[in-house]
Amino acid sequence: MNAWILIPVFLPILFGACLLAVSAAARYKNKPEPDAAALKKLHLAAGAVMSVSAALALLAAWSGDWAVTMFHLMENIPIYFRVDDVGRLFVTVISVIWLLVCVYSFVYMRHEGEEARFFGFYLIVYGVLVALTFAGNLVTMYLFYELMTLTSMPLVLHNGSREAIMAALKYLFYSMCGAYFGLFGIFFLYQYCDTLTFSAGGTLNAALAQGHEGILLLAVFGMLIGFGVKAGMLPLHAWLPTAHPVAPSPASAVLSGIIVKCGVLAIVRVVFFVVGPEFIRGTWVQTAWMTLTLMTVFMGSMLAFREPVFKKRLAYSTVSQASYILFGLSTLSATAFTGAMLHVVFHAVIKCTLFLTAGVFIFECGKTRVEELNGIGKRMPGVLWCYTFAALALVGIPPTSGFISKWYLAQGALEGKIGVFGWLGPAVLLVSALLTAGYLLPVTMKGFFPGKDAPEADVTVKEPADGMLLPLVILAVLAVLFGVFPNPLVKFAGQIASSVL
Amino acid sequence: MALVQNFPFISIILSLAAGPVSSVLGAKKAKWLNLLVITVIGAMSAAVLAFVVGTGESYVYTMGHFPAPWGNEIRVGVLEALMALFFCVVMLLCMLGGSRERFLELEESKENLYYVLVNLLLSSLLALIYTNDLFTAYVFVEINTISACGLIMIKQNGRTIEAATRYMIMSLLGSGLFLLGICFLYDLTGHLLMSNIQEQVRAIKAAGTYHLPLLVCVCLMSVGLAIKSALYPFHAWLPDAYGYSTLSSAAILSSLVSKGYVFLLIKIFFRVIGFGIIDDSKVIDVLFAFGIAGMIMGSVDAIREDDVRRMIAYSSVAQIGYIYVGLGLGTTTGVIASLYHILSHAATKALLFVAVSGLTDASGDSTDFFDLTGAGYRNRLAGVAFTVGSFSMVGIPLFAGFISKYLFARAAIWSDSKMLVTLVALAVSTILNAVYFMKTVIRIYTPEHPAVLKKKKFRAVTVSDQPAKSAAMVCFIILNLILGLSSEPIVHLLERGMNMFA
Amino acid sequence: MSPVVFAVVILLPILAGALIPLLPYKNRLQMIFYVSAVVIVTSALSLWILFRQPQEALVLFRFTDNLSISFRVDGLGTVFAGLVSVLWPLATLYSFEYMEHEKHEEIFFMFYTMSFGITLGIAYAEDIVTMYCFYEMLTLATLPLILHTLTREAVLAGRSYLYYSLGGAAFAFIGMVFILSYGDSPDFVLGGVLNHARLGDHANRLLIVYVLCFCGFSVKAAMFPFSAWLPQAGVAPTPVTALLHAVAVVKAGAFAVMRVTYYSFGTGLLRGTWAQTAVMSLTIITIVYGCSRALKETHLKRRLAWSTVSNLSYILFGVTIMTPAGLVGALCHMVFHAVMKICAFFCAGAVICKTGRQYIYELDGFGRKMPAVFVIFTVSGMALMGVPGLCGFISKWHLVEAAVSSRNPLAYVGVAALLVSALLTAIYMLTISVRAFFPGRNFDYAAIADVKDPGWKMVLPLALFAAAMLLCGICSHPLITAFETIVRSV
Repeated sequence: MNAWILIPVFLPILFGACLLAVSAAARYKNKPEPDAAALKKLHLAAGAVMSVSAALALLAAWSGDWAVTMFHLMENIPIYFRVDDVGRLFVTVISVIWLLVCVYSFVYMRHEGEEARFFGFYLIVYGVLVALTFAGNLVTMYLFYELMTLTSMPLVLHNGSREAIMAALKYLFYSMCGAYFGLFGIFFLYQYCDTLTFSAGGTLNAALAQGHEGILLLAVFGMLIGFGVKAGMLPLHAWLPTAHPVAPSPASAVLSGIIVKCGVLAIVRVVFFVVGPEFIRGTWVQTAWMTLTLMTVFMGSMLAFREPVFKKRLAYSTVSQASYILFGLSTLSATAFTGAMLHVVFHAVIKCTLFLTAGVFIFECGKTRVEELNGIGKRMPGVLWCYTFAALALVGIPPTSGFISKWYLAQGALEGKIGVFGWLGPAVLLVSALLTAGYLLPVTMKGFFPGKDAPEADVTVKEPADGMLLPLVILAVLAVLFGVFPNPLVKFAGQIASSVL
Repeated sequence: MALVQNFPFISIILSLAAGPVSSVLGAKKAKWLNLLVITVIGAMSAAVLAFVVGTGESYVYTMGHFPAPWGNEIRVGVLEALMALFFCVVMLLCMLGGSRERFLELEESKENLYYVLVNLLLSSLLALIYTNDLFTAYVFVEINTISACGLIMIKQNGRTIEAATRYMIMSLLGSGLFLLGICFLYDLTGHLLMSNIQEQVRAIKAAGTYHLPLLVCVCLMSVGLAIKSALYPFHAWLPDAYGYSTLSSAAILSSLVSKGYVFLLIKIFFRVIGFGIIDDSKVIDVLFAFGIAGMIMGSVDAIREDDVRRMIAYSSVAQIGYIYVGLGLGTTTGVIASLYHILSHAATKALLFVAVSGLTDASGDSTDFFDLTGAGYRNRLAGVAFTVGSFSMVGIPLFAGFISKYLFARAAIWSDSKMLVTLVALAVSTILNAVYFMKTVIRIYTPEHPAVLKKKKFRAVTVSDQPAKSAAMVCFIILNLILGLSSEPIVHLLERGMNMFA
Repeated sequence: MSPVVFAVVILLPILAGALIPLLPYKNRLQMIFYVSAVVIVTSALSLWILFRQPQEALVLFRFTDNLSISFRVDGLGTVFAGLVSVLWPLATLYSFEYMEHEKHEEIFFMFYTMSFGITLGIAYAEDIVTMYCFYEMLTLATLPLILHTLTREAVLAGRSYLYYSLGGAAFAFIGMVFILSYGDSPDFVLGGVLNHARLGDHANRLLIVYVLCFCGFSVKAAMFPFSAWLPQAGVAPTPVTALLHAVAVVKAGAFAVMRVTYYSFGTGLLRGTWAQTAVMSLTIITIVYGCSRALKETHLKRRLAWSTVSNLSYILFGVTIMTPAGLVGALCHMVFHAVMKICAFFCAGAVICKTGRQYIYELDGFGRKMPAVFVIFTVSGMALMGVPGLCGFISKWHLVEAAVSSRNPLAYVGVAALLVSALLTAIYMLTISVRAFFPGRNFDYAAIADVKDPGWKMVLPLALFAAAMLLCGICSHPLITAFETIVRSV
C-alpha cells in the first residue's frame, strides 16, 4: 500500500475544490461576504489541511523510496509516482515555504477578499506541486506541470483588475507555449528513449537515436526553452515581470519562490533523468543554453536595477536568479549542479522573504514604489532587517546562504570543460551580483537613513501582526543559517550531483 | 420483308403528310392529330427497336425498290430506333407540357400552323436519324431549320423575330458549310450514299491521295453541324431562341433539334468518313477543345443570367459541350457517353423548361430570378420537378445526369492525353452547374413575404389547374429516374447500336 | 443475422423521418415521442449490428454491373457508425429543449432524422459508389437544416455550403471513377484495390487523381482552402452545428478520406510520393490556419467552428501520415474530437438559447450564473487544448507518435503545427472561460441577474459528454486496442 503517499496530493486538491464549490455556491446565491467568525473557521480548516498535508508530504519524502502507479494513461505510459533525492529536496522546500506563506496569508488576504477562493486554489496548487515533485516519469510530470499552470493562474488574477486578468492570461499563454515546446520534445523522446521513467543519467537509446541526432537535439532544445519559460529564461521570460507583481503578495512569493523552481525541476528531470547529460555535452544545444542563461542573468539584473516598482524589481531579480540555477545546470559539471541545487533552496527562501516584505509594505502602508519606502525602517525596523538579511544573502555576502551556492556555481563553471564560458560565466555572475547589490541594498539604506530632505514620516514603531512577522523572521533566519551551516545540504546536493553526472 | 421493317419509312412519310393536313384543320383537331401522329410513330419506333434488337443486326430499306445510286436508302439499327423512340417520347411530353402556353401565346388563327411545323420537324428529325443518304440528310437539315425558325417566330413579339432571324442566319451559315462539305465529298468519291462513300474514302486513304481535300470536307461538315447544334463559340443565337420562344418550342429545340444534328455528325463520323480517319485528322481535338470551353463558358454565362429561362438556355450550351467532349475523346466509350448524354440531357432540359414555366405561372409570368422567390411553395409539383431537374444537371446520384457524368468520366479515364483536362473540366462544370441551379432551388424554396405576394398578385397553382403540364412533369421525372436508376439496359442498347453502326 | 437489417437501419430514419411533418399530432409531446422513438430504435438497431458484426453484405440496388448500393460492416465503419449512433440520441434530446421556441420544428426534425439514416449509410457503405451516393445525399439532406431560419444570412450560408460540398463531391467523383476503372473491385479493402498490372506506368496519373480526390472529400472536412463554408454554416440551430458540423457531416468527410486513402488507393502506392507531401502540407496549413481564424473570431459559435476546421485537419493529418499508426491516431481524434466539440457547441447553444447572446464579449460573468454550463465548457476547452487526463491529449499523443515514428520530416513539421495549434486553442478557449469566471472586480452582476443554467434536457447530455471526456482521457486502452485491431493489416 504505497498509495498513501498520494494523500498529500489529493487531500489538498479535494479540500481546495470543496472550498471553491462553497465559494461559487455562495456567489450563486448572492450571499454577503463572510463575517469574521466564518473566516476564522475557514483559516482553521485551511491551516489544518495544509499542515497535515505538508507533514504527510515530508513523511512520504523522507521515509523511504516509495513508488506507486496510479493508472495507465496509455498502454505503456503509466501515471507513476516515485520519491527520489531530487524530489525530496524540492518537496521539502515547497512544503516548508507553502506552510509559512499560508500562515502569512491568513492575515494578508484580509484586504484582498474572496478568501475562500484564494485558499481553495492555494491548496490545490500545493497538491499539484507535490505530485509534480513525486512524478516518476515524463508524462506524469507533464500532466501536473500543465495542471500547475492552470490552477496557479487564478492566484495571479485574484484581485480581478483588468491589469491582473491580462497578466494572468499572459502567464497562462506563455506557460502553455512553453509546455507545448516541452511536449514536442516528449513526443520525440518517447520514440528514442527506452522508457520515459526517470532514471539518473538518462534513458536515451543510443542505437535508436543513431542518425537522428539533429532532430533529437532540436527536440531537447525545444524542451529547454519550453520548461525554461516557467523559470523565466530568455526568450520567453516576459510573462514573469508582468504576472508576479500583480498577484497578491503571498501568491507572488510562492510564484517567484516555488513555481519558478518547478521549471527548473522539469529541466533537471529532462536533461539529467531522461536525455542524459552526455547527449548534449559539447553540442550546440549546450552552447546555446549557456548563452541564453547568461544573457538572462545579466539582463534580469539590469532591468531590476532600473525598475522603480518594488515588486516588479523583485520579479526581475527572480528572472536573473533563476537563470543562475539554469546556468549551473547548463555547464553539466557536478560542482555546478550542486551549486544549482543549493541555489534552488536558497533562492526560494530568500525571494519569499523579499516578496513577503513587499507584501507587508503594501498591507500596512500601501506603498508599492521604491522611492516611497524612504524611512520605512523607522516604522518597521524588524521587517526591514529581515529584508536586509535576505538581500545580503541574495547578493552573496558571506556568511549568508547565497554566497555558498554562488561559490559552487562559479567553481563548477571554472572546472567544467566549457571553453569560453568557463571564465565568462563567473564574470557575468559577479557583475550580476554587483547589480543585485545595487538594486536591493538602496532600499535598506534609504529605509533606515532617509536623509535630511525626506518628509517627516510617521516614526512610531509599528510592526505588522505576528501572523505576518513570524514567517518573515523564520525565512530570514533560514536564509542566513543555511550560509552558516551549509554542510548537510551541500552533502545532500552533492550526492544528487554525483548520481546524475 | 417483315411489316415492321417498313415502319421507319412509314413514320417519316406519316409525319411529313400530317403537316399539310394540319394546315386545313382547326387548331384543336390539328393538335389531336399531332399527338396521335407522335404516339403512333413512337409506337412504331418501339416496334422497330424490338425488331432490330431481336434480329441483332441492322437492315437497309430501299425506297421503292430502286437500288442505289438512283433510289434512296434508309438504314435502321438499334441506335436509330432507340433515338427515334426517345425523340418521340420527349416530343410528346414537350407538346403536352406546352399546350397551355400555346393556347395563351399564339394567335388563335395560327395555332394550327404550329402543328404543321411540329410535324415537319418530327419528320425531318426522323429522316436525319434514319437516312443513309447524305443529300437526303441535307434536305431534311434545311426542312428542320425552317420549321425550327417557324417554331421560334410563331409567338410573335419583337424578340422572337430577332431571335428567329439570328437563328436563321447562323443556321444557314451552318447548312451552307455542310452543303459545301457534301459537295467536296461528292467530288472526291462520286457518291452520295453513305456506305458507298465510306468505301471510296477508305480507298482514297489507302492510296494516300487527297489528304487535304478530305480534311477540308471533314472540317466543313463538322463546323457546319457544330454551328447548328450551338457548340461554343457558335452559340450566340441560342439563348434568345430558347429564352423567348413559346414553351414547347424551347423544350423541343433544346432537347431534340440540336441533338438531331449531333446525331447526324456522329453518323457522318462513323458511317461516312470512318472514325479512324476522323481520329487521325485532329478535327476531333478541335471539337474537344471547343467542347471543354463550352462546358465552362456556358455555365459561366448561365451564372451571370438573371432571367431563368435564358439561364437554362445557357446551360444547354454547357451540355452540348459535354457531348462534343465525349466525341472528342475519340473512343467508342466516349461516343456512348455522348449518346447517353443526348438522352439524359433531352429528358432533363425539357423537364426544366416545363418546370420553370410552372414556376413562372405562379409568379405572374415573370421569368426574373427574384420573382421566383418562394415559387416552390406556390406550385409544389413544379418546384419538385425543377429540383429533380437541377439534381440531374448537377449529377446527383439516382438521377440521369449522374450516369452520363459517370460515363464521361469513365471514358476519359482511359484516354491518355485528355484524361486530366476532361476530368477537371467535368468537376469544374459540376460546380458551376451547382452554383446556378442550386441557387435557384434555394431561391424557389425561400418563402416570400406575404405582403409582397399580395402586392404582386402571385397566386398558387395546383395540379388540377394544369393537368397536361403536370402530367408532362411527372412523366419527365419518371423518365429521369429511369435513366438514372436503370441505365444498364440503355447503355447496352447503345453499345449494341454502336457495334452495328461501324 | 440477416443483412436486411442494414436496409432497415438506414431506411427507417429516412422514411420515418420524411413522415414527421405529415403526421397529425395533437401536441408537441406526441411529436417528441415519435421522433425519439425513431431515433432510439435506429440507434439501438445500429449498435446491435455493431455488436453482432454480421459478415454478409447487403446489395440494396444495382445501377449497373459494378455500380451498386451495398452495405457491410467492417472495422472502420464500426467506429463511425458507433460514434454516430451514440451521439445522435443525445443530440436529439438536447434539441427538444433547444428547438422549443423555433419555428417549423417538424421540418427540422424531419431532415435531422433523415440525416441520421444517411450518415449511417456512409458508415455502412461497402463500396465507394455507395459511399459517394450517400455522401451527396447527406449534402442535400443537411442543406435545409442550415437554411432553417431562412434569413438572408442563412440562405447565403446554405448556398456556400452547397457549392463547396457539391464541388468537393465533383472532384471526389474523379477518384471514384478512377477506382472503378483501375481497381479490382469497388469494395473497400484494407490496403487498397488498385490493380497494379492495369495501372502500368500511369503512376503519376494515380497521384494526381488521388490529390484531387483527397481535396474533394476533404471539402466536407473543411480543409484549407475549402474551409470557409463551415463557420458560415454556424447560422444553423445549435443542435445542427453541434452534431452535423462538428460530427456527422464533417466527420463523414474525414471518414471518406480514410476510406479512399487506406481502403481504395492504398497507402503502399502513395507513401513517400509528392502526393503525400502535397496533401499533408495542406492539412498542416489548415491546422494552424483554423486556429488563427478562431482566435480572431468574436462570435462564439463561429469561433468553435474555426476550431473544428483546425481539429478536422488533425484527423486528416493522421490520415496523410499513411501508416497504420497514423490511422489509429486519426480514428482516435475522430471519436474524441466529436465528444469534445459537440460538448463545447452544446454549451454555446445553451447560452444562445437561454440568453440570446452570441458574442464572446457579451459573456462576462456568466460563469457565476451558469456554473454547470461553463464548468463543462472549460473542461471541453481543456480537453481540446490537450491537457493530459482528458481525451484530447490521448488522441494528440497517438497522432504525434505516428508522425514521429513515420520518420517523415514533413510530419515533424506537422507535430510542431499541432503544438502551435494547441497553444492557440488554449488562447481562444480559455479566454472565454476566464471572461466568464473572472469578469473583473467591478462587474455588475445585476445586469445578468436573469441568466441561469438550462434544464436537465440540456445539462444531462453535457454532463455525459464531460464524463466521457474524462473517462476517455484516463482509460483509453480498450478503444485504442480496438483501433489497432482495425488497422493491423494495413
